[in-house]
Amino acid sequence: MNPILTLVWKEWRCATDTPLAYVVAAAFLLASGFFFGNSLFLIGQAEMRGYFSWLPILFMFFIPALCMRLLADEQRLGTFELLCTLPVQTSQVVLGKFFGIWLQLSLLLLLTFFYPLTLSLIGDIDVGQIGVSYLAAWLLAGSYAAICLFASSLTKNAVVAYMIGFGCLLLIFLMGQILMQFSASVQNTMAMFSPIQHYQAMLRGILGLDNLVCMLAMILVFLSATTFQLERRRWK
Amino acid sequence: MIEVNDICQKYGQHVALDHVSFSIQKGEVVGLLGPNGAGKSTTMKILTCYLPPSSGQASIAGISLDQDTISLRRNIGYLPENAPLYTELDVQSHLRFMGRMHGLSSATLRDKIAEMAQACGLSEVLKRRIDELSKGFRQRVGLAASMLHDPPCLILDEPTTGLDPNQIVEIRHLIQKLGEKKTVLLSSHVLSEVEAVCQRMLIIDQGKLIASGSVQELAQQAQSGQQVDVTFKGDASQVLAALRAQFSDSRLSSHEEGDETHVSLHCLNTQIALSELVFQAAVKNDAVIVALHRQQASLEDVFRKLTGGEA
Repeated sequence: MNPILTLVWKEWRCATDTPLAYVVAAAFLLASGFFFGNSLFLIGQAEMRGYFSWLPILFMFFIPALCMRLLADEQRLGTFELLCTLPVQTSQVVLGKFFGIWLQLSLLLLLTFFYPLTLSLIGDIDVGQIGVSYLAAWLLAGSYAAICLFASSLTKNAVVAYMIGFGCLLLIFLMGQILMQFSASVQNTMAMFSPIQHYQAMLRGILGLDNLVCMLAMILVFLSATTFQLERRRWK
Repeated sequence: MIEVNDICQKYGQHVALDHVSFSIQKGEVVGLLGPNGAGKSTTMKILTCYLPPSSGQASIAGISLDQDTISLRRNIGYLPENAPLYTELDVQSHLRFMGRMHGLSSATLRDKIAEMAQACGLSEVLKRRIDELSKGFRQRVGLAASMLHDPPCLILDEPTTGLDPNQIVEIRHLIQKLGEKKTVLLSSHVLSEVEAVCQRMLIIDQGKLIASGSVQELAQQAQSGQQVDVTFKGDASQVLAALRAQFSDSRLSSHEEGDETHVSLHCLNTQIALSELVFQAAVKNDAVIVALHRQQASLEDVFRKLTGGEA
């Protein structure tokens, strides 16, 4: 079996054998259910825009929790040394870890398909718009996971990794407000690099190539940075 | 099988390894000894490609560290210090993960897991989570994982740490058995263990390789002379006088206990067969020997002397 797939399998086994993943997943579904039910029952709108606009905030809390142990614990427990002495490249280790966590996040999103299915029973839904919104959420989850994986590579302490990851995601979330202090040209330039801006653009149902490229580039940059950081730690 | 040439490792200003060179032949079991912080683990980390050396060259199975490290790692089974394991997994899943990472097919893996579980006494605990296991069992899991892909070279960092005496004996036997087919480099603080298992020893101190050889060779290097303890029955005054005359430049002490005389003779000259000469002197002077013991430096003595533990 390919070492990346083996690592994905291992991450999956480790996650399903520990209560943390179940606790985080249950809390996520509870919180996302609240935001979905809020617009449906309290505001009386049979649509998912409210739910998707809250999703980056939920991700900001939950993704660092799911990612914090990925590399921090490997380094703290010494299993990283074991991994590095196996016939596998550091980049493959990082990819295996990333795809492992992205798979878990994808399954979490998959579980929320229950919401549009419920809506479809009540009335007509815009399948295209919801589909693009899910794609946007899936890519945003991947971008955030790559950032939090990088945070986890910086320290041996999982709590510190959570704080770094959360701090980075908070900064991204607040980027729009921060950029308002700057000129329009700076705002437009920086917006190109903000996954939130691309996510919000996709929520409008527009699937632009620039949105996809930015999200994927964000993943690639942070996975490269993680690989570099792990290599640097060994060479130090 | 293992060639290390002039390896240096620096962490900032601290020199962890200082121009270390040695070679280990195929099928040898070699012990790496040294006090804490001497550079044993660093040497092992370099050989397993975890750490790149600051300078110098090393190769395993003819593959240099700066060539194809992936192929090199396939030739190594490594048990790091304290046997780090994925404790959330059960033993079988951990072994399966390690085997798959080494590219073993499912069918081969099944057979290998069964074989290693048998060899390391893990058959009873294969389905148990690693975090529920004792330190001894965890050590065995680490050892089994390191041998799963049948590597020609095993590098074991403190393989018996934390084991009880029975487990130590079991692991020792296992390593001895492995040594019949594989090249083994192991580090340990338990000198008696290294003495029992290894054919040769490398002693490292403050990053420098200070001695290499079998226990006997190291004892000779470390000894400052030789000593014979002999017990005579009855009157030994005649033979004592003869010994004092013959070994005038040596230290001789004696005391009587009942009808026996205990004599200790320490001679600086290591080239002569001291015990034979003592025996011949006893025969010449009609003295009856009831005990004759040639003192040899133990590995502990050698280690303490070479690493500066002895004043």
